[in-house]
Amino acid sequence: MASAAEPVHAAAGTPASRSFLGALLRTPSGAVGLVVVAVLVLAAVLAGVIAPYDPLRMAAGPRLAPPSWAHWFGTDDFGRDVFSRIVYGARLTLQIGVIAVGISLTSGLLLGLVAGYASGWTERVLMRLVDVLFSFTEIVIALACLAILGIGLTNAMIAIGIASIPFYARITHSVVLVERNKPYFEAAVAGGAGHLRLIFRHLLPNVVPTLIVVGTLGVSTAVLAAAGLSFLGLGAQPPQPEWGFMLSSSRDLISRAPWMMIFPGVAIAITVLGFNLLGDGVREVLDPRQRQR
Amino acid sequence: MLRYIAQRLAAAAVTIWVATVAVTLLIHAVPGDPVRIMYAKFQSTPEQLEAVRTSLGLDQPIHVQYAMYLGRLVEGDLGRTIVGDQPVLDVLLARFPATLTLAVASLAIAILVGMPLGFLAAYKRGTWVDIGAMLVAIVGVSMPHFWLGLLLLFFFALQLGWLPVAGSGIANLVLPALTLGLANAAVLARLTRSAMIDIFDQDFVRTAQAKGLPKTVVLYRHALRAGLVPIVSMLGLQFAYLMGGAIVVENVFAWNGVGRLAIEAVFARDYPLIQGFILFFASIVVIVSVIIDVLYAFLDPRIRYG
Amino acid sequence: MRRSTTSGPVLGLLATALLASTGQLATSAQAAELVWARYGDLDSLDPHRATSTLSMQVWDQIYDTLLAFDADGQPQPHLAKSWEISEDGLTYTLALEDGVVCHDGSPFDANDVKFTIDRAFDEAQPSLTRTAWGPIESVEVVDTLTVKVSMSSKFGAFLPFLADSFSSIVCDTNTADTFGSSTAIGAGPFKLVEWVKGDAVTLEKNPDYRNFGKPVENMGPPHLDRLVIKTVPEPQTRLAALQTGEVHVAEPPFDDIAAIREAGELEIVVADNTGQNVFWEFAISRPPFDDIRARQAVAYGTDPEMAIDIIYGGLSQREWCPIARGVFGNDQEFCEQFGYEYDPEKAVELLAELGYGPDNPLETTMFVWTGGNRHKLAEIFQAQLAQVGINAAIEIMDIGTMNARVKEQNELVDDPSPGTFDMMTWSWYDPDILYALWHSPGAYSGFTTPELDAMLELTRTTIEPEARLAAVQDVIQYLMENAVHVGLYTPGWEWVFAVRPEVSGFKVGAFLHPMFNDVEVKE
Repeated sequence: MASAAEPVHAAAGTPASRSFLGALLRTPSGAVGLVVVAVLVLAAVLAGVIAPYDPLRMAAGPRLAPPSWAHWFGTDDFGRDVFSRIVYGARLTLQIGVIAVGISLTSGLLLGLVAGYASGWTERVLMRLVDVLFSFTEIVIALACLAILGIGLTNAMIAIGIASIPFYARITHSVVLVERNKPYFEAAVAGGAGHLRLIFRHLLPNVVPTLIVVGTLGVSTAVLAAAGLSFLGLGAQPPQPEWGFMLSSSRDLISRAPWMMIFPGVAIAITVLGFNLLGDGVREVLDPRQRQR
Repeated sequence: MLRYIAQRLAAAAVTIWVATVAVTLLIHAVPGDPVRIMYAKFQSTPEQLEAVRTSLGLDQPIHVQYAMYLGRLVEGDLGRTIVGDQPVLDVLLARFPATLTLAVASLAIAILVGMPLGFLAAYKRGTWVDIGAMLVAIVGVSMPHFWLGLLLLFFFALQLGWLPVAGSGIANLVLPALTLGLANAAVLARLTRSAMIDIFDQDFVRTAQAKGLPKTVVLYRHALRAGLVPIVSMLGLQFAYLMGGAIVVENVFAWNGVGRLAIEAVFARDYPLIQGFILFFASIVVIVSVIIDVLYAFLDPRIRYG
Repeated sequence: MRRSTTSGPVLGLLATALLASTGQLATSAQAAELVWARYGDLDSLDPHRATSTLSMQVWDQIYDTLLAFDADGQPQPHLAKSWEISEDGLTYTLALEDGVVCHDGSPFDANDVKFTIDRAFDEAQPSLTRTAWGPIESVEVVDTLTVKVSMSSKFGAFLPFLADSFSSIVCDTNTADTFGSSTAIGAGPFKLVEWVKGDAVTLEKNPDYRNFGKPVENMGPPHLDRLVIKTVPEPQTRLAALQTGEVHVAEPPFDDIAAIREAGELEIVVADNTGQNVFWEFAISRPPFDDIRARQAVAYGTDPEMAIDIIYGGLSQREWCPIARGVFGNDQEFCEQFGYEYDPEKAVELLAELGYGPDNPLETTMFVWTGGNRHKLAEIFQAQLAQVGINAAIEIMDIGTMNARVKEQNELVDDPSPGTFDMMTWSWYDPDILYALWHSPGAYSGFTTPELDAMLELTRTTIEPEARLAAVQDVIQYLMENAVHVGLYTPGWEWVFAVRPEVSGFKVGAFLHPMFNDVEVKE
């Protein structure tokens, strides 16, 4: 997580998308990560086809039945099929990743760009504020947001998104600082380019590679955070088949039905691992200096 | 150096000041009438609500409210909880030692497990030891704290019956501290490895090796000491992560710290307690990071501040 | 705040925390100690500042009441040895027992009673259950052992209330700011030693305790030296602690009760006569539940019998009435004729009349009180409602929050969001609860009509039992026909206890008052 804070610089000449994918698949972590994420997306899209049961249907089988051919991951205390719930849960997990990272990435990007570009007082005040928010820690910001917005999965996604804005703003800012002092940028300023053109044509493209890496890794952080909030009862509500929430309802039955605790946990861990590996892979492709390690 | 410390303290003061503004605004960001939400208990009358509004100063303009809030803050008055009507600061202070105990024990475990693992991986870079260690670490980073907690609970407490499941004694500390410590050990192992690789690549280590100094001397006298510097600089952030993680882990193991309190407060919409918690927690994290930054400045002779 | 922003005290706190943790490992072998684990903590030691059962059960140990419920739930003389009611029924003159002392050694007398009642009616901070005291106008100390309470109108539920925990007598020496949070002086069987919030309340024997009317054998101080009331939120954790002997009495996980009974080591005590009622309550101030058909659709569309059977086995029962079994006025046969038997087709019909159908489900939110497996019950109801075309989101919250949210919902008249409904829970010793809930303005600012107000007033001012029963049943019929207060089941919370074999004498009195006066722990 912290190592993602180093800016990534695109290798000379932006690679075409196909060769990017090829390069990604040649890195071990990128390949594994890509496969995991692809499986997750497939599960989410094809949930209706893959899942043998309606994830909300009670008494789809006997209550608390251990894993069997009929119920691969067993059933829960309402007789719902745990496998089907996990497959449908992939949809919620993807939503969490996209919405939370979407919020923090776009807001953080704008904040960092504006602060880095504006320089002077605007920069100092904005970045000071970002530093302050950063030191509040994400969990506290998320709790504060939930206290205002109220409990629920959508609100939890928003809260997590808001909580990570300072992180993305810092990274964007640090990349902009480097770019700002490069000759090409100074030339563009001297050439009389407008503010918007300077920001969007010159700074933004150079920030994007770093943010792709950070954003990919950020999905894993967001998924973990959302699962944690749902586990605490602040996120998903019944009967949503959200993995963290499923873990929290497994607690009372941990000795009688350990499968209710094991499979949702494995699903979270594999998803998070997948995005972590994918992020590492993308970094390796985009930043040859890192590849040597 | 003094100037550096002064700068860091000033920054910390600004952060805490922003926190006071943020918590004052928090109550106004709540949709609806905060007093009604908070105090609309069984049989409260409009007159009572009005009295509450006046006593909290919520009928005043916002800058006056803020001044009142600061005034009370200076006297150590963070308001009273909605649930049970008790001084917020007392409630927080009563619960804080448990959280601090958990955080310190977890940090110790994270350091004892994570740093040797990262060091070993860096030293044996590229070998199966390195790959294995980093695999363990990335899996550790990817596991939700609370799931690791449930697994430990399942195996050690329920299957093997070795440890008590929950409570507040020393034996009860083992599982939550292990959960939080191991999860953070994974992060620390990755950090340590990357810091040590940077050191190994640096000229002074290579020079020492070229001079024919014994390997252990090079390792301990030069590389390890130099490597510690960037790692210590990350401990502040680690501590913040730990405190955040503690909020969840406390709830898994019924550890009676401020984290559990905070979640209860959010559920109960006990805004004075939530406000107090945010201010308290942010202050602790900021102060610890100042202390670590200052230690770092003492540790690292190469860097001149100011 | 200053205290916490320097590093010195922080380290000091750490040291004390470590010392405290190790200290807890050493327990004295001589002192008879009992540990009672509950899912949550009390809200306040001040009986005027909370309404939760968790709080009440602690007050019961620290404070005493003027009257006491016997095993059948009838009020009997206790600290008040006798009383007289004036001709007009407006004045109660109570004679107190002599020689009772408060925990701080001050004598317990009429001044303590006056102090308590005046405090409950304090203008700035009245008791949360002030209404339950009745229309009290004044309290007068006639002499040290005689107190006179005057009412503005007749109030049939005053004597039973004096046996309830909400009427706990607070000694007049409780003047410190810390009262309620770290100090509490009563005349009950146990003295407060310490309350570590969220963790445990530690009580010690009151050696001067005297029992007059409580339904226990022991007329003197408790046999226990210490009573520790611990908070252990996780049911599995409580069970594990019961099995290792760390805890002596606790609520077991419902899913394990059959296995516990089979193993035979722990005794399962199930309280009856709890006075607990779990019921549907609706935000009637705006759509959809401003229409009686929407309320009835919920009642017809849910099957409490099936749900409690799945979740609680045989431990809870269908309850047709708005007041629980064991409470004056409860009559299953009478109530059932106005009740809503599970009938999903009828629910679909009613919803169709309102324009809802398979493509246009009724959207709403169900509030549920956390704990006691109620969230699971709610999930079953949610699934049942989905089948008739009601999409009910579930929101789980603690009871204090739920009380506030329900009231808030009723007061949001013009809000565009759909109105909510909730699985409300109340425990009371008398049908007077219906007055508190539904007489305008109403505890939740909910359903009120002038007609209902008049009927409810009659239940208060009618003292003669037969006439009062008729008045109460009129109210019950009205509430049920209007689908305002639809009974679901009883009991509903904290009524099952698992007790370790070395513990004897543990009793749960009427209206869920666990009593430790007779308890002994054998080594």
